[in-house]
Amino acid sequence: MPAPSTEFPGNIFYALLFFGFVSFFVWSVAVRFRWLARAQWINRFSEPIRRAIDLIPWVLGNSRVARPRYWYAGVLHTAIFWGFIALQFRTLNFLLNGIDHGVSLERAFGPVWTWALRPSMDAFNAFVILGVAMAAWQRFVWRPKRLTLNWDAWVILGLIFWLMVTDIFVNSAEIALGRSENDWQSFIAFGFANLWDRIGFEGTGLELFHVAWWYSHLTDFLVFLVYLPYSKHSHILTVAPNVFFASREPSGVLQPIKDFEKGESFGVGRLEQFNWKQLLDAYTCTECGRCTAACPASLTDKLLSPKQVIVDMRHLLEDRMPALAPWTKRPADPGDLIETVGFEPIWDCVTCGACMYECPVFIEHVPTIMDMRRYMVMEQTNMPETAQATLMQLEQRGHPWRGAQLTRTSWIEEMAAEGVEVPLFDGAQEYLYWVGCTGALQERNVKVTKAMVRLLLEAGVSFGVLGAEEGCSGDPARRLGNEYLYQMQAEQNIATFKGKGVQKIVANCPHCFNTIKHEYPQFEGRFEVMHHTEFFARLVAEGKLRPQSLDGLKEKQITYHDPCYIARHNDLLEEPRRVLEATGARLTEMGRCRRQTFCCGAGGSHMWVEESRGQRINHARTGEAAGTGADVIAVACPFCMQMFEEGVGSVPEAAEKGMQVFDVAELLDMSVAYSRAAAEAAADPPVE
Amino acid sequence: MPHIICCVKQVPDPETPASQFRVDEAAKKVVPVPGIAPVPSQFDTIGVEAALRIKDKTPDTTITILSLGPESYRDSIKHSLAMGADEGVLINDPALYEADHWVTAQVLAAAIGKLAPFDLVICGRQAVDWDMGVVGSTIAEILNVPCITIAKEIQYKDGQVVVERVLLDGFETAESPAPCVVTVSNELGEPRYPQLRQIMAAARKEVKVWTASDLGLDAAQLKNLVSLERLYVPEVKVETEIIDGETPQEKAEKLALKLREAKLI
Repeated sequence: MPAPSTEFPGNIFYALLFFGFVSFFVWSVAVRFRWLARAQWINRFSEPIRRAIDLIPWVLGNSRVARPRYWYAGVLHTAIFWGFIALQFRTLNFLLNGIDHGVSLERAFGPVWTWALRPSMDAFNAFVILGVAMAAWQRFVWRPKRLTLNWDAWVILGLIFWLMVTDIFVNSAEIALGRSENDWQSFIAFGFANLWDRIGFEGTGLELFHVAWWYSHLTDFLVFLVYLPYSKHSHILTVAPNVFFASREPSGVLQPIKDFEKGESFGVGRLEQFNWKQLLDAYTCTECGRCTAACPASLTDKLLSPKQVIVDMRHLLEDRMPALAPWTKRPADPGDLIETVGFEPIWDCVTCGACMYECPVFIEHVPTIMDMRRYMVMEQTNMPETAQATLMQLEQRGHPWRGAQLTRTSWIEEMAAEGVEVPLFDGAQEYLYWVGCTGALQERNVKVTKAMVRLLLEAGVSFGVLGAEEGCSGDPARRLGNEYLYQMQAEQNIATFKGKGVQKIVANCPHCFNTIKHEYPQFEGRFEVMHHTEFFARLVAEGKLRPQSLDGLKEKQITYHDPCYIARHNDLLEEPRRVLEATGARLTEMGRCRRQTFCCGAGGSHMWVEESRGQRINHARTGEAAGTGADVIAVACPFCMQMFEEGVGSVPEAAEKGMQVFDVAELLDMSVAYSRAAAEAAADPPVE
Repeated sequence: MPHIICCVKQVPDPETPASQFRVDEAAKKVVPVPGIAPVPSQFDTIGVEAALRIKDKTPDTTITILSLGPESYRDSIKHSLAMGADEGVLINDPALYEADHWVTAQVLAAAIGKLAPFDLVICGRQAVDWDMGVVGSTIAEILNVPCITIAKEIQYKDGQVVVERVLLDGFETAESPAPCVVTVSNELGEPRYPQLRQIMAAARKEVKVWTASDLGLDAAQLKNLVSLERLYVPEVKVETEIIDGETPQEKAEKLALKLREAKLI
């Protein structure tokens, strides 16, 4: 059965329809692409083969969409996605058929078409309809909070559904009008064709029916195509490039601003100051809301919604596109980026990276928010008072702890009084133990620092500390948006390291660890950096530390809180748990653990920035920890320590049962000290 | 084109941990704590903020930062320049390092005379190291201009200065024709955080350095009025007595009796 467009005047109509819609589509894409070309340059072309290979699981495999927690959405998306890919064969065949009946994939593929493609196409028709039905159920009945329930989604679902229906009906009419022996392979259309026969639907009526469905199918396809760039469903076009060009760096890394002297603007205050990948992110967002559903700020009723940040960017971009018609006139003043996204959302971000981990299409929310924060700090000095006070403190005193009563060497003097000589790094030692400001200046964390030193000495590690020569790693300044101050601090530390011949560094602060390990190389500071949990896991495995079940600890349940900058940003998941298990502790996990951990509330320098509204993040997390029934919260970060110490005193569920907070190093230290005492007692039994 | 001169002093960091604070009693000097850099005196930075608020409303205002002290004071001048001040002058003369408030005021007044014409001199209500709080009014006395102290708001318009002063039980508004001296208090508000562009511009700005002779003063003739008799950290003695008792009630009873004995209740 030839397509109705192969003869005059159908062919003219077809050509007008086709070229009209396609050129409109090309124009719509081009005006959007022009924005990408106008944006800042960033090189995302490294490792092209790895990038291409990764498209297989991440795009073709739907592996990030179909995570267990979102199995329903995963199933429906995979059904629609694969159906759509597969049905492109039929669509192409349909369009070619429209030009000339002789040109067709059907002939080119021969038996493959008949025996494999025909039945699978119909199966995929069914899958897509099933997927659309599931999506409709989700949007209409279930209505999860993370979704934006707007008409855009319904338009797309409707177009997809209609595409399937018209596809089946066109096929059924073709089968009914020109039977061949291999029609039954298109089993759904075949069924309908039989139905037409049974009800006596034939002749001119059926031919008109065919023409109507044929044009309906074509129009639906073309409308879908031109609608795409205007919809959040443009991800169909942009997801593959967006995943291909995704950052290959650890998720906790921020990019440096190069050459402050020549910089015209610092940070991002206007759309074109973003790099092209950030704008591509905006075109790719599907508004699935998984970022916001995992965001600690959002979940504690703050104004930040990572999804809204990206959507705001997209809307601002759309407002700057050429108007299509007088009634779609764009606003004369499309609005300011920072004002649109908003002061509070930009400052609410704790840089924990939950949004980026959850995003199925690899949108990089945190660097985007941080770019705007940089602009607010360096161009506008527009920030919360507490952030400003912290930056002043960092500038004037070189550490973020205002009012600290200790100095960087107080703990060394205290340990000397306890009979422990802390070695100072002079180049002769193998490791530098980087104490960090919090480990030196906050009383609670000094205990962790002392445990660290006792363990390093016990294991016979050759190490030293910098003492008074240690400075702030720069992480607080960088995450507060003052890149200039960060670079000064980082360069100062790199100079100190190089001057002293430092090569290997152990740090127990995940924030220092992350910036020294991954961000100092941006300034030619390359060192081997380890977090204390991985270092101790190794020492225990090598038998250099021999922890033993501690009587007091054996009875206790411990829940381990994964610090964002260790777990999610640096993939250190098992090492801390191995150390804890070695102490004989009984571990119980919180619902949100490992890479899905929930920030303690102190990330992104929020240790020093007052929370704007809603529940305190650390109270939410302490409540979750108390819910496990554990007696002890084990942490591996000085900020988490501070946050939970406050939390266990303030959250009733935790306070009532007297929950305690210990660093992994403290528990290991207790356990090692206990086993050493036991070993000494065994070797030298007391004389009666 | 209003000209405002802000006097800025540099002080040892008031947030130095108490455990680190030491004085050399023999030399009658505060021992600088290694690793803790001096900072601009807080009230003086608020004075710069007050000047900048006037400049925000009257953009053609020129703000000059004036400081008397050694080379290290340059940092505090640079900080004020980064906040948005226009020019910096450092009076660095080893003969003046031991100046008391009287000599300081004379030197600053001479420098202000050299920087004239001016409309307003702004000082902090007191420096946060010695807390004497007299330099501002002494400058006014020497220059023979009006002085308004402890301001929480300064407005300047057409040669008229309107100041809201902080009192113990409220506020009062005082007016004076320019030129005059105003000292500011922390009620004025937080000093602004410098914009990066201004920090970078401030780094490039030149700070003029003058000596006593540049001001036409003979350092040998400038005599301190105040002499330091003794510098020491006062000893705070706390005697602690633990009250014993079998029950909390008994302890409370004994405590109440003790307090009555001491005539505290």
